[in-house]
Amino acid sequence: MSVTYGYTGKILRVNLTTGKISTDDTLKYKDFIGGEGMAMKIMWDEVPAGTHPFAPENKIVFGTGPFCGTGVPCSGRTNITSLLPSNPFHAVSSSHMGGYFSVELKYAGWDMIVVEGKSPKPVWLRIEDGKVALEDARWIWGKGIFDTMAMIGSQMGKEAQVAAIGQAGENQLNLSVIRTGASHSAGGHGGILGAKNLKAIGVKGTGSVKIAAKPEELMALDKYMMSLIGANNQHVVPKNPQPWAEYTSPSSRWTAKKGLYWGAANPPVETGECYPEDMQSVGLRTYKAVVDLGPVAEKYTVRMGGCAHCPIRCHSQVKIPQLERYGMDPYVANTCMGFYSPFGVMINGTPDLPGQEPGEQSMIAKGLGAKLADDYGMWCNYGQIGRDVLYAHKHGIFKKVLPAEEYASIPWDMLEKGDPAFLVDFYDRVANKKGELWHIADGSYYLAKRWNFGEDYWSDYKYKLWSKLGFPVHHSNEASGQVGALISCFSNRDAQNHSHMNFIAAGLPIDMLKDIAAEEWGSRDAIDDVKNYKPMTAAKAKFVKWSLSRSLLHNSLTLCNWMWPMTTSPLKERKYRGDTGLEAQFYTLVTGIPKSKEDLDLDAERAFTLFRALTVRAMGTADMRKNHDQTTEWVVTAEKGKDGKDIAQFTPGTDRMTQDDMEIGRTMVYKEFGWDEKTGSPTRARLEALGLSDVAQELSSKGLLPA
Amino acid sequence: MDTTKSAPEGESKRSTSSRREFLRLAGAGLAGAFAAAAFGCVSFDTRDGKKVKVWATSSGAIVHDPSRCVGCRRCETACTVRNDGKGSSYISRIKVSRNLNYGVAGVSAAYARADGQLGNFRVVGETCRQCSHPACGEACPVGAISADKTTGARVVDARKCVGCGACQRACPWGIATVDPETEKSTKCLLCGGDPNCVKNCPTGAIKFYPWAEAEALLFGTGGTADAVSGATA
Repeated sequence: MSVTYGYTGKILRVNLTTGKISTDDTLKYKDFIGGEGMAMKIMWDEVPAGTHPFAPENKIVFGTGPFCGTGVPCSGRTNITSLLPSNPFHAVSSSHMGGYFSVELKYAGWDMIVVEGKSPKPVWLRIEDGKVALEDARWIWGKGIFDTMAMIGSQMGKEAQVAAIGQAGENQLNLSVIRTGASHSAGGHGGILGAKNLKAIGVKGTGSVKIAAKPEELMALDKYMMSLIGANNQHVVPKNPQPWAEYTSPSSRWTAKKGLYWGAANPPVETGECYPEDMQSVGLRTYKAVVDLGPVAEKYTVRMGGCAHCPIRCHSQVKIPQLERYGMDPYVANTCMGFYSPFGVMINGTPDLPGQEPGEQSMIAKGLGAKLADDYGMWCNYGQIGRDVLYAHKHGIFKKVLPAEEYASIPWDMLEKGDPAFLVDFYDRVANKKGELWHIADGSYYLAKRWNFGEDYWSDYKYKLWSKLGFPVHHSNEASGQVGALISCFSNRDAQNHSHMNFIAAGLPIDMLKDIAAEEWGSRDAIDDVKNYKPMTAAKAKFVKWSLSRSLLHNSLTLCNWMWPMTTSPLKERKYRGDTGLEAQFYTLVTGIPKSKEDLDLDAERAFTLFRALTVRAMGTADMRKNHDQTTEWVVTAEKGKDGKDIAQFTPGTDRMTQDDMEIGRTMVYKEFGWDEKTGSPTRARLEALGLSDVAQELSSKGLLPA
Repeated sequence: MDTTKSAPEGESKRSTSSRREFLRLAGAGLAGAFAAAAFGCVSFDTRDGKKVKVWATSSGAIVHDPSRCVGCRRCETACTVRNDGKGSSYISRIKVSRNLNYGVAGVSAAYARADGQLGNFRVVGETCRQCSHPACGEACPVGAISADKTTGARVVDARKCVGCGACQRACPWGIATVDPETEKSTKCLLCGGDPNCVKNCPTGAIKFYPWAEAEALLFGTGGTADAVSGATA
């Protein structure tokens, strides 16, 4: 095979039914960039509509991109694509994990792994460079993920990176994850590995990812990019006043400051002032432990961790000796939802006990829950699981649906008084599929049906459900009004999109953001002041399309969409401008395939349109506007002010939308993508223009092209 | 103190044991010859007819701080992109990946409290000591490893290297590594005195120290341990 740059050129295919292991050519899919884009093509070509996620015919694709392994900043993510069990139509969706798995896979010589079939007995997949084998997994089946990783590490050597499922995945829970490293989870697809009898994938690589450009060219671009990078979520101003900073933002994740330490490091490490030009403190900027776990966590923080080749460390790694009281080791790591979701299960909170420091008990609960969920491999449906417990509890549903004996055996008193030990009992029951309670892990759509939730479950803002397809808000209407709202309408699970979020929350003054918005999307009215939204505009639609495409682009390259794109920067001398052409510049140097920013955006649009076609095919209807893209009712209902009166939409103080305006927004976004403006479905003309004639042909034969 | 700059030639803070040992072996009469050996690696005959090989001391070495390291491994790609034109962890001359999950000792039943990301989170990177008597260089059957004329780093001459792996087997620290793709040995060459791993560490966990300081940091000072003899044969 000729030398390939960026790409290793090889896809590993594993058929678990037959045990056949074969190699495929990556570059035949190169129009779809990598990772998520290529996986969409494989799912379109190879997994027919109507396939059940847990059927042997379903495939699951572990994807890397051309940047993984090259050291491009924030390029360590793994994209996983398959049918989504928690989606009512089992539509294709992706989950992603950080860590070091994708890089190791590349160094072993593989761009992707496509797994199909079902093994007759539990197995794990062993990849050591070109040597690939299915190994007996009976000795690790039933184990938690931490022990599974260690046991595979003992077989393969300590260098191996492992992606595995826990009991939740083995038991084929809809809400289960595939996890790698200390704390990196891809939510939603764990059960597929369970159904395939595939416990884990271990990989070890002694090879490399070759770079087309001269080393100094890539090093120079890397240096430039590193000058533009901010803190986590590309927040480019600090939270606290700094001698170098013109602006501050209370919600910034640039949390480092003088006198703030990783207190449990030996010796403690001061995060400090972190001047933007100081490349030796970039990794100290984001001190998330004191945000996610509260100020109390400072003295418990060992360090900040994260993913391969990312200088921004967003995973808190803490030592909480109090966890030993629950029979746990004291070390726990996670970020954001990894801590908040299990804590959400504690619906009455976890009040501090006498003698505890303020916030200590909630830190313990978050740490304990993260450890349990990560070992069992439970997913949270982006924080929804706690709100589902809340709904069922508040409405007396547990008492109604659980058999009396089971109900009586659950330590509700612990939940009532806020004892974190409730989580130990809860996760054991759910992950191990005990009684009826485990159905809480069916996901909102199936759970609401099974337990007969009322309409208020969907319509009450408190439960934060975005779509009747069963997923919650994730930077939706509260994130730039229609922009976030519309972004959330196109996915089959929580939107997982940060392209817009990183920009609007960068921390810069709104007037400056509007100027930058005008440069990027044609008009200052692409964004509004927070909670002072104006009706839909064409520039907002452009911003929506760009955000959706860029997210898919990043999941294909793969880059972390929790950092990229670099729309802004911390540099005063650049007037805080970033550079949205960086992805294309890196692509050209790494792969040797010249691409402009517009070329890559078009590739991303092609992949996103294919994703749309996959959803059309899964749902069996071309009318996406009516059947897919709608929100729950609260989103388009005026909220009540403190005085009990409605706050009219598009007046200061509310982020609620109106149905009419959202429909205008949908039309505008459909138009931006060149789709049918009535139904929101891709047209034959647009599909053909994007080189997707085969897709047009199949949709046409099924009567799924818009009239 | 600015520890990121290389020590100027000839300004090492204290004379090293290697030099002392050489002078003891070779006798004062060979002091002039020592000057000739200031760069590179030279063999001499002693008065009683024995062979002695002299290595110029490296200007410095890289030291990794496990309390600051966040395990991002940007050092590894900084190393291999600059020196090999590709990303790799296996041939990186600074070794972080292999200890990332379970520390230097590897997987154990006590992994959850041992070093590594799956334990107490401690990340131990291993760097080339630029040993006074480098086992890699001593082991090389074709003389492909010598002290760089500018930095004193023990460097591999790829034109001479036959990829036999003697250096890899000899290095007590497991640093020298034969690249399976090129069949040439890779080991830390200090990037001409401005190590790229140091420049790319986002937390300042990797520093380039003058050799004597690096030696003290890597092996400790005082006590009975001779830092230099601790390094290699």
